[in-house]
Amino acid sequence: MTKRNLRDRRSAGLRRYKAGAGAIAALAAATAGLAAPGTASAATVANAGKSSCSPSATKLTFWAWVPGISRAVAAFNASHPSICVTLSDVGAGDPEYVKLAQAAKAGTGEPDVAEVEYDELPSFEITHSVINLAPYGANKVKNDFVPWVWQEVSSGSAVYAMPGDTGPMATYYNSKLFAKYGLKPPTTWAQFASEAATLHKDDPSAYMTNFSATDLQWVMALMDQYGAWPFKYTGGSNLTINWTGPKQMAFANYWQKLLAAHDVNATTDVSTTSFSDMDKGIDALWLSSAWGPSYFAPDAKLTVGNWRAAPLPQWSAGQDVAANWGGSSYPVFSQTKHPKQAAEFATWLNATMASWNITKTAPSSLFPSFKPLLQSPSFTSITVPLSGSSHPYTVFAKAAAKATFEDWPPIMTEALTQSATVFAGVMNGKETLPAAFKSFQNTLVKYAKSEGFKVTT
Amino acid sequence: MTELAAPPTAGPGPSALSSRKGHGETTRRSRSGWSQRRDRRGLWFVLPFTTAFVLFMVVPLFYAIDESLYTSKLIGGTQFSGFANYRAVFSSGQFWSGVVHVAIFGAVQIPLMLAVAFFFAVIFDLGVVKLAGLWRTIMFIPFAVPAVVAAVMWQFLLEPTFGPFVHLANSLGFSSTNFFSPNLIWPTIFVIVIWEWTGYTMIIFYTALKAVPRDVVEAAVIDGTPLRKIITRVKLPMVRSAAVMLVLLNTIGALQMFVEPQILAEFQPQAISSYFTPTIYIYNTGVAGQQYNLAAAAAVVLALVIVAISIGLMVFRVRKGGGL
Repeated sequence: MTKRNLRDRRSAGLRRYKAGAGAIAALAAATAGLAAPGTASAATVANAGKSSCSPSATKLTFWAWVPGISRAVAAFNASHPSICVTLSDVGAGDPEYVKLAQAAKAGTGEPDVAEVEYDELPSFEITHSVINLAPYGANKVKNDFVPWVWQEVSSGSAVYAMPGDTGPMATYYNSKLFAKYGLKPPTTWAQFASEAATLHKDDPSAYMTNFSATDLQWVMALMDQYGAWPFKYTGGSNLTINWTGPKQMAFANYWQKLLAAHDVNATTDVSTTSFSDMDKGIDALWLSSAWGPSYFAPDAKLTVGNWRAAPLPQWSAGQDVAANWGGSSYPVFSQTKHPKQAAEFATWLNATMASWNITKTAPSSLFPSFKPLLQSPSFTSITVPLSGSSHPYTVFAKAAAKATFEDWPPIMTEALTQSATVFAGVMNGKETLPAAFKSFQNTLVKYAKSEGFKVTT
Repeated sequence: MTELAAPPTAGPGPSALSSRKGHGETTRRSRSGWSQRRDRRGLWFVLPFTTAFVLFMVVPLFYAIDESLYTSKLIGGTQFSGFANYRAVFSSGQFWSGVVHVAIFGAVQIPLMLAVAFFFAVIFDLGVVKLAGLWRTIMFIPFAVPAVVAAVMWQFLLEPTFGPFVHLANSLGFSSTNFFSPNLIWPTIFVIVIWEWTGYTMIIFYTALKAVPRDVVEAAVIDGTPLRKIITRVKLPMVRSAAVMLVLLNTIGALQMFVEPQILAEFQPQAISSYFTPTIYIYNTGVAGQQYNLAAAAAVVLALVIVAISIGLMVFRVRKGGGL
């Protein structure tokens, strides 16, 4: 399995991900006889999906980039002879959203169903590019999903997508390194900060973790855990953007203090750099998502078996607040001629054990929000080589149940694009995080106003 | 340089240039004579080009101008907005900072590359190199590598963690060099562009030098002119129009620079801002921000900047060219 095959779930990570080792992995994939997604795979995968179709079947197109999801499509086609789903991988994250937005503008060319990350879904809702699935019985499976995930895809009784995988967060730490320096998995952020200082003092080449200011979704997931979520949007023209409130500034100041003291490593995450730093014992832990271990695994050589999962540190001792970082949903697009069949496919793909039994396995390795699987002991007791005999998914599954709804604004594509620019100064020490939050606030407010929103700050 | 600017010149470039060089005056005369004897059958020959030109250049140009006069908002829909988008572009610090960056880049890179290319062209022209054809081909190969591939390749060569050049820099005592840091990103692109285009530029100069009449050089030799002066006083003036054309093409290429930074941004997102060059600003405004109209206005403004610079260089060339 190559890293390239694991690309998915979040566009920002992917950008960096390609950054690090994408091309090398793609080469490896090519030499290993695996089609690199985005190159030859679209055609191959499409054929795989088509193979079992009868000529009279209703034809649906499906865009997704999760590696190995063609297996689920083939299984659907086999068990639903009247529907024929053809899969295309048109790019992971951004490249796909660009094509979707352009197809919406052109009035033709949308797929029937596509993979869309939770943070991007509101951008497609506001342009009426996706349809309400409630008339097709979507609410029947509502109780099969973790409530906050259902909230991500619904608005009142309207359902704009089927929720797919998620990325509940945990502290993924190098237990050998922790033992060497007498550290304990931090239960509070105060402890996290003091241990970070201790570790860096004991070993100036080591850091508690890396802080990737340019990884907007990751930063926002941590902000969410602190109760400093910077957006409020409930549809319509009112949008609250608040990166400069007291909570947001307190969050920025907490990390700025660690950055200024060099107690954390200012490197991009989900990159070859961060993975190599983790494997070399430079970064002692990763504030990771449930999909993190499968991304890290191909880069880990020296520390395989050392990695343990623990709940995220808490802002107040004794609390148990979780956060989510990443994950995708599966909306049906408004240009579809077969909304009923498209909804049926999206529902089957995300709300049946038949589908999850395929997508939970490598190379897809999706982490479910689908309760029957999430709560099944056979899932939570999975072991991975990185974590030796421990059961990291138990921790992630607990976080999945406790994570909270993240209120994404319909301007995330712009926010993600600008974040790389605005936060670059924090990475090279030329700007502080609170200053970057302020300039990000200005950038987003200006953009939202130019798009006609009534902006509250 | 972008794919857009240069490759179209790859075909007509050298031949057109060389014909002009050798017989500057005759070309001009014969051309006007040809136009008088114009034959309507000739139209069929230009039809494929004209069709493509109208479909892919003229129509999109007018479409962009039309788009630039409207404003389409997520909330509120599309409305005619006159020159509002142009006002936004003219007051956009981001757009103009990109223009300034590529202008400075071009002002440094183009003269340097032309000088290096001319130097090698002269060496090959003198015929003192063994296996000259092989060396010329090797120098030309980078041009045959698509800019996308070149950018990916250089990204790996300069990669901060495992790139060989970083190890080289470290062993020379420049510890923790990051070729994608804010201070080094432009020099890095400089290196990539020089690598890509020097061979191509050298070939154009070489072709132009080959077209310098032997008798002129022989006359200079008989007069006892030293080699250095033959090169700078005889040959260089005779390839001046080729040089001006190269300056023009490279200036347009620099102003439209997109491929290299856009590809590097995939790998080093923090190194390339969303308004790094004017075309990257246009791309991000249109694609990420979904502000097609503003992007269209910015594209029209950039086109006008390019037209103004091109006309300036053309005027320069005609004046200097007259003195040939």
